[in-house]
Amino acid sequence: MSLINTGYLEPEELRELQKLPSEERYQKGPVAVIECVQEIPCNPCEAACRFGAIRIGDPITNLPQCSHEKCTGCGVCVSKCPGLAIFVVNKAYSETTATVSFPYEYMPVPEQDMAVTAVNRKGEPVCEAKVVKVLNPAAFDHTPVVTVEIPKEYADDVRSIRRLQEAD
Amino acid sequence: MLERDVVVVGAGPAGLAASIEAAKAGADVLLVDLNMKPGGQLFKQIHKFFGSSAHRSGTRGFEIGKMLLAEAEEAGVEIWLQSTVIGAFPGNLIAIEKGTDGGNKEVITMRAKKLIIATGASENVVRFKGWTTPGVMGAGAAQTMINVNHVKPGKKIVMVGSGNVGLIVSYQLMQAGCDVVALVEAAPKIGGYAVHAAKIRRAGVPIYTQHTVVEAVPGEDGTVCKVVIAKVDDHFQPIPGTEQEIEADTVTIGAGLKPATDMVKLEKCQLTFNGPFGGFIPLHNDRMETSRAGVYVAGDATGVEEANTALEEGRIAGISAVESLGLIGESEAEKKRIEIWGRLEALRMGPFGERRQIEKNNILAEYEEKIGTAVEME
Amino acid sequence: MGEFFSDDMIVCRCEEVTVAEIKEAIRQGARDVVGVKRRVRAGMGLCQGRTCEKMVQQILAQELGVKPWETGTSSARPPIRPIAFGDLAKGSVE
Repeated sequence: MSLINTGYLEPEELRELQKLPSEERYQKGPVAVIECVQEIPCNPCEAACRFGAIRIGDPITNLPQCSHEKCTGCGVCVSKCPGLAIFVVNKAYSETTATVSFPYEYMPVPEQDMAVTAVNRKGEPVCEAKVVKVLNPAAFDHTPVVTVEIPKEYADDVRSIRRLQEAD
Repeated sequence: MLERDVVVVGAGPAGLAASIEAAKAGADVLLVDLNMKPGGQLFKQIHKFFGSSAHRSGTRGFEIGKMLLAEAEEAGVEIWLQSTVIGAFPGNLIAIEKGTDGGNKEVITMRAKKLIIATGASENVVRFKGWTTPGVMGAGAAQTMINVNHVKPGKKIVMVGSGNVGLIVSYQLMQAGCDVVALVEAAPKIGGYAVHAAKIRRAGVPIYTQHTVVEAVPGEDGTVCKVVIAKVDDHFQPIPGTEQEIEADTVTIGAGLKPATDMVKLEKCQLTFNGPFGGFIPLHNDRMETSRAGVYVAGDATGVEEANTALEEGRIAGISAVESLGLIGESEAEKKRIEIWGRLEALRMGPFGERRQIEKNNILAEYEEKIGTAVEME
Repeated sequence: MGEFFSDDMIVCRCEEVTVAEIKEAIRQGARDVVGVKRRVRAGMGLCQGRTCEKMVQQILAQELGVKPWETGTSSARPPIRPIAFGDLAKGSVE
């Protein structure tokens, strides 16, 4: 697995290791993409999902399994995953654009409508992006979930944004 | 002479959990810690913890620390801060250098009917040219600076080590506003959880596996201004000609931890060497009792693991101590211990945990073979 | 390898003991951590070997061709942490 050598997953590996949403499901709207591929003792995502879409069971080292049919793409699990390994991808956002929602625990937190640089799993810039939503309620416990709009073809690659610099 | 049913040394997760269990059973518990605040490393942990819902997973470490402190207070645990156990003598006597509100210290010798040692671990260093240059520090020290004292150790950081400490502290250094310009790891693989590595990769941190720091170069002011890294061969030796220079003002070393054994040595507890657990550790049984009757251990001092396992071991130590004081019955204590060992087993599963489970079993077996029954100190 | 690890490198920073001094202690017959400590004071300072013990073990293991655990660990006797003489003298048994 390239992840343990390099720190990032190649999309093909991800598809092998985790059951990713089908293209058909992606076309129906937002859906959770769980990039958790190591059997570590952890299960808050299971309790986080109100729709019972995420299952870990016993033992807690099981990998989470997501029922993409039950998943509504609400994004609550994104803020609850201690590994920051859950994303919500919406490939049906518009004719030409998709959105990717990801946890973002750096200061300053981006604001809606801000122009940002979207990056891939290696931190490389992929494309320009627009922040369309920032959710940061108390229940998320200081893990804001940021949603950016990007050209559709980058929806499987974009997983964060370049860190914003603190104003001096 | 001052006397307590149970004295617990170290107020981290293991010591707090042990104190809570013992106090809830009705014991007079004194918890001693050399720091200004209790909580051990918990108050440095600003990230959400892994684990099961039974371990309050998804809660940030310092919040877990707050809950434990409230529980300890409610259970009536007496806490002496800025206080250090400096000696132990036959007859269950210990000498404590007690801190006072005025900052003065006084040495008190007292009797502890039962002693629980939860002294944690200290950071390993690695040796390279210039490792004593100002700007080179332990990753844990850097974490204390940013998360407890709110001071940045530097602007551009080179992190050494890709275990969970190296990965998590790299992330937190960036959260504090520093740049992590490189993470170097001598092994061919990343040591810690992949999700932690993925987090810092997304933030643009280059991870150099099979590399090591060979020199921290001081600038005109005597502090680090440049770091030289090089590739290593299969024996982890740097390969000449592969050096590259990185502009950085800080080197943080996350090269693992070593159980703090001064207290168990003082109590003449029998030690064993265990590589995966970080070095010499006290032999103990499934009640967390050492080779010395009435002396218990818990947490990283028994082998470096993590906060959840420390908590659970602390509970076992606390329960066993009050059982031997006769405050709870044997069947109740055994029932609780079985439950906790079950939870510990769940924590020691998977690619990161199973080795620790095997080693733990080896330690328990070695205890049975070499010690069997704990004896009083001579 | 020599170009990366010179013998004038400090190992015990509390007592400022170098690699060369530890190697000399081993030549004089030190076979474990305690032997090195008695001869050149590595691990006898403020931190009581918390920082350097592992490095001393590594040097011993390398020089003697043994495993790190065969080089032992230092003993502990009271007071295990630095304490002012005044405080110690004032101490009481209550």
